[in-house]
Amino acid sequence: MMQALWGLERAIDRGIGRRRLGMTLLALVLLFFLWFPNDSSQSNYAKNVFISGFFYAIMASSWALLAGIAGQFSFGHMAFMGIGAYVAGLIARDGIMVAALGIAITPDMISAVGSILIGTIVAGFLGLVIGWLLLRLRAAYLALFTIAFSELFRIVMLTEYDYTGGSNGLSLRPLLEIADVNAARQVEYYLMLGLLIACLLAMYWVANSPVGLFLRAMREDEDAASALGVNVVRYKILVFVFTSMIVGLAGAVFYSDVGSERIIPEQLEVLQMSLIIAYAVIGGMESLIGAAAGAFISRYMLEAMRKVVIDLPFGLSLSDGSQAIVWEPGAWRYALFGLVMVFTLRYMRNGLLFPIITWFSGRDIAMKQTVSIRDDKTKAESTDDG
Amino acid sequence: MANIRLELNKVSRRFGGNRAVDQVSFTVTKPELIGMIGPNGAGKTTLTNVMSGMLKPSSGTIYLNEQRIDGKPPYEVTRAGLGRTFQITRALGRMSVMENMLVPGLAHNPRARRSLLEEQAQEILGLLTIQHLAQEFSRALSGGQRKLLELGRLLMLEPRVIILDEPFAGVHPRLQETIYSYIFRVHDEGKAIILISHDMEAVFELSQRLLVLHNGALIADGIPQAVKADPAVIEAYLGEDEED
Repeated sequence: MMQALWGLERAIDRGIGRRRLGMTLLALVLLFFLWFPNDSSQSNYAKNVFISGFFYAIMASSWALLAGIAGQFSFGHMAFMGIGAYVAGLIARDGIMVAALGIAITPDMISAVGSILIGTIVAGFLGLVIGWLLLRLRAAYLALFTIAFSELFRIVMLTEYDYTGGSNGLSLRPLLEIADVNAARQVEYYLMLGLLIACLLAMYWVANSPVGLFLRAMREDEDAASALGVNVVRYKILVFVFTSMIVGLAGAVFYSDVGSERIIPEQLEVLQMSLIIAYAVIGGMESLIGAAAGAFISRYMLEAMRKVVIDLPFGLSLSDGSQAIVWEPGAWRYALFGLVMVFTLRYMRNGLLFPIITWFSGRDIAMKQTVSIRDDKTKAESTDDG
Repeated sequence: MANIRLELNKVSRRFGGNRAVDQVSFTVTKPELIGMIGPNGAGKTTLTNVMSGMLKPSSGTIYLNEQRIDGKPPYEVTRAGLGRTFQITRALGRMSVMENMLVPGLAHNPRARRSLLEEQAQEILGLLTIQHLAQEFSRALSGGQRKLLELGRLLMLEPRVIILDEPFAGVHPRLQETIYSYIFRVHDEGKAIILISHDMEAVFELSQRLLVLHNGALIADGIPQAVKADPAVIEAYLGEDEED
């Protein structure tokens, strides 16, 4: 079996090449996502699961950029998403009044897109403030600070009932106004997919630029990075602003009746944030595509496991006469999900998908070559010494 | 030859009541090889941290080529032309050796083409005999190889003044030779080097000038032969021997 796999690997290396194969598979996945809503057998519920998967893929991949690549282990990600959504909703409903500047913008002057943009900018601005406050905090202190910030925001949204709707949540202005439900679902699907692709491309651009290199240096050792000429303060704030804007935008779009009709404070709970972290960890928190895939697959599996039906083969039947095993795990699916996370953290700390991504990138070939040169050199040196 | 003027004026650093660096003043005006010695706890590393911006001085000023650098963050000090290594190596572990080299290269010269910086990095790694490890994660390197990597990273910054904090500690003799030739080469290129080491043999062999710290204060500054005979220096070291 292993021989066959190695043979296949050699054939791929000699033939199409890993990178090209990886890009081809990625293109096929993209084609599948583009085709999916056109499949008439798919229900709106299935499309909704995908839309939700795209949203969580944005959340997990942007958290991977913040925590996995830049090393800022923040629990405030859902709060920034909520800021984007709540600000968009409040602005669209109540307008903006800046008495000091004599500016008054009434709700009818603001479109849904305008309110989303303002929500995104406000999320980015608060990302700047929080990033600045966090400059001197590292590791556990940073995590605790962001948990406190997140809870503070959630409690304010919950208790300021008159403005935010409290536990009933806040409806945002619908981004799309399409009367036909099926057509609307289709457009919403492509909108969220497009947003995911745009966010991933933007994050990839950052991660593969010199800024990405500096962020990783900062993750490894802030003092050393600073001594090497990296302006740690600037990049720390930059990554907070950038990821806050991405999740603020995603939240404002998703809750503008694209994926959900209202934002509720329950969505901002630490448990929800923990799920985002779990998705990223399972997919690979140092890889944007890994985290996005981890989130999408996890969301899909959690939905698929609401009711598991296994048809019995060979005409077998159970004592009650039924010919299928039906299992509704309820909350137990989260327990299974927890087990997957425990397994990942114990045995595959870079995520379940990371080895696959590494294989397709061909990085392991470069590593093998450099290790082989090193071993040869060490052998030669020990022969010289001898 | 690069223009060099590093000037420390009565630099002090206190931790509570403890004066770790006490009114230290000295000037470097040419590409010298300077040894900085002193018993344990003399304040060498604290002074290095103050000079490199890792710590703010409690009082005093530091100028590098007429630019005031005391109290500036480390990245600004580095960009002003003062680079340093660490006593305990601080390689960026989950990044490749090449990426470790590119970080200072791109920070120092953001508009440079990456391929050119990679060529420059490869050349420096070759000088340090670790070019074959370019794609290796730096956490996989031995302690000595990490020291070499730190030295290599410094050259990507093209500094005027380099502080080497214990470059020979825990390094295989073969790699020590590489570090020696690195020091000579960098010095020949017109950079000033401040070498901090407990390896007295190496310090006396390499240094043209010696600075001796004791209890945070600079007690001697001169050519090695003169410093060796200085009663205050003998007292500082003999005092420590007696305590031992």
